Amino acid sequence: MTRYPVKDKVAFAGTGATAFSRDSGERSQLSLCAEACTRAVENAGLTAADIDGIAGAVPIAYKVQSALGIPETTWWTSPPQEGSFVQVILEAMNAVYSGACNTVIAYHTFYRLPWASRAAAKDPFRRMLSITGGVSPAPEDVWGSVGYTAWASRYLYEYGASREDFGLVAVNSRSNAGRNPNAVMRSPIGMDDYLAARMIRWPLSLLDMDVPIDGAVAFVITTAERARDLPGRPVLIHAATAGVIDRNEEDQTPGLRNHGQRVTVETLRARSDLWLDDMDVYYPYDGFSFITLSWLEAIGLCGPGEAGAFIRDNWDDKTNSLVIHGKVPVNTHGGSLSEGGTQGAGHIREAVLQLRGEAGERQVLGANTAILTPGGFFFNAHGLVLRAE
Amino acid sequence: MRPIQLQNISISGTVRACRTADPPCDGVKETVLSGISDAEVLERYPRTAVDHDNKYFYQGLLERKLLVNRCNACGRWHQPPRPICPSCWSRDITATEVSGEGVIHLLIFLHQGPPAAGVDYATPHPVAVVELAEQEGLRFSTTIVNADRETLRIGLPVTLTWIERDGNPFPAFAPAAV
Ligand SMILES: [Zn+2]
Repeated sequence: MTRYPVKDKVAFAGTGATAFSRDSGERSQLSLCAEACTRAVENAGLTAADIDGIAGAVPIAYKVQSALGIPETTWWTSPPQEGSFVQVILEAMNAVYSGACNTVIAYHTFYRLPWASRAAAKDPFRRMLSITGGVSPAPEDVWGSVGYTAWASRYLYEYGASREDFGLVAVNSRSNAGRNPNAVMRSPIGMDDYLAARMIRWPLSLLDMDVPIDGAVAFVITTAERARDLPGRPVLIHAATAGVIDRNEEDQTPGLRNHGQRVTVETLRARSDLWLDDMDVYYPYDGFSFITLSWLEAIGLCGPGEAGAFIRDNWDDKTNSLVIHGKVPVNTHGGSLSEGGTQGAGHIREAVLQLRGEAGERQVLGANTAILTPGGFFFNAHGLVLRAE
Repeated sequence: MRPIQLQNISISGTVRACRTADPPCDGVKETVLSGISDAEVLERYPRTAVDHDNKYFYQGLLERKLLVNRCNACGRWHQPPRPICPSCWSRDITATEVSGEGVIHLLIFLHQGPPAAGVDYATPHPVAVVELAEQEGLRFSTTIVNADRETLRIGLPVTLTWIERDGNPFPAFAPAAV
């Protein structure tokens, strides 16, 4: 029996977000973060005085506390942003469970930086944020985007897959984004549009990559007991994990079937009483289309290299989207590809909204259990099983 | 620093020795062939994150030698350069020249990317992760030269060749002679 005492002990009690935008103009990261945090605390039916823990990468936690006038906290963390937002959630969950604090505001701010956006490059204040100590990347540096692209090419080679397999993920995200008023890319696309998109790094094109946006997402995380006394429906964290292996550099990682996703799935499966047959909604990360194919395979919905065929077999023509076994929609918010690049925070927010019954016109009726697999391969693969009470 | 002969390692027909201070060994040993100072490495690579762990790699480049860290205790190679062997935790490590033979393991073509001398992206720039012949899973990321795009593919045997970038020798790979 796997030791997992925190199961169902900690809950999401509220969530808030800013509008997502491809250009928020003159707003700072603190402005976006503060708006999301106030909305989340209000959504939970709480006030600043109820918060005693703060977790988020940017801005640093105590500056957010000061900006929001949160009178007293007993715990905070600001882990490096590249560790992924889910790490923030895991730390907040552990802090609440241990008693380090009782009610955490956890936030994630996303901000277009000059290297990712031409419009952002014109903003002199944003240029100040991207000074890297004089170190310039080389074209041959295989990390980040280049690293995922490299393994996407390996995927095509090893499995005889096609770029259309990647395209199915892009089409699914865009179809779902049409029902999400906060998504930045909402006009429907088909496979022809996908194949005509501008190539950025072969084999991945513009539509294989998430869209840089400005915005922020926040959550109130507290004990399951406390959440039951609040107005909204509590969303329990049933199981959660990170997964990392030793050879986690992009160019040195062992192979398509052995990286952080493998550890994540093995661990999540061992900790969770609920699995694929129980889930009502599924949120695989899609910062690059190819990552979603890999998650579908890693979690066991299909075999290695079979994700394209699996998606075709489970395609719903009416909605032009993937609906697993005719029942489970995937990335109902449009994912990072179409809602906007949130490094997984948007996936968690959407799962919480769905399980609280607050997802508006895209609400999945009777959604009680969500599985989430945010992050990629190397150092930020994560898994979560959430359930509503 | 009193140089002592620690151990000889035979690589591809050449014998190298590492030099060290008094035992116990601690940290990466520079190879005896290097006559290039830390200051010169920093001057020649002003926009690269050179540090105490990877400076031997860049010293090697300036002498047209592709060096990869190898553990003197267990013989395993490892990338990127680290001051400890991940396999056995020995800190007796030597930056050691590799044969320059390998196979393309990952291959992409950049249609855009960071500015670099001699790279304009009008012709998509090949970037390859080459699996080196020395050890399964030991890889080096670089570009491929002297090849048409149509002939490049994952699985292709390639050989180290040297080009120049920003006035420094740059280790590229080219299709191996058949
Ligand atoms: Zn060793």
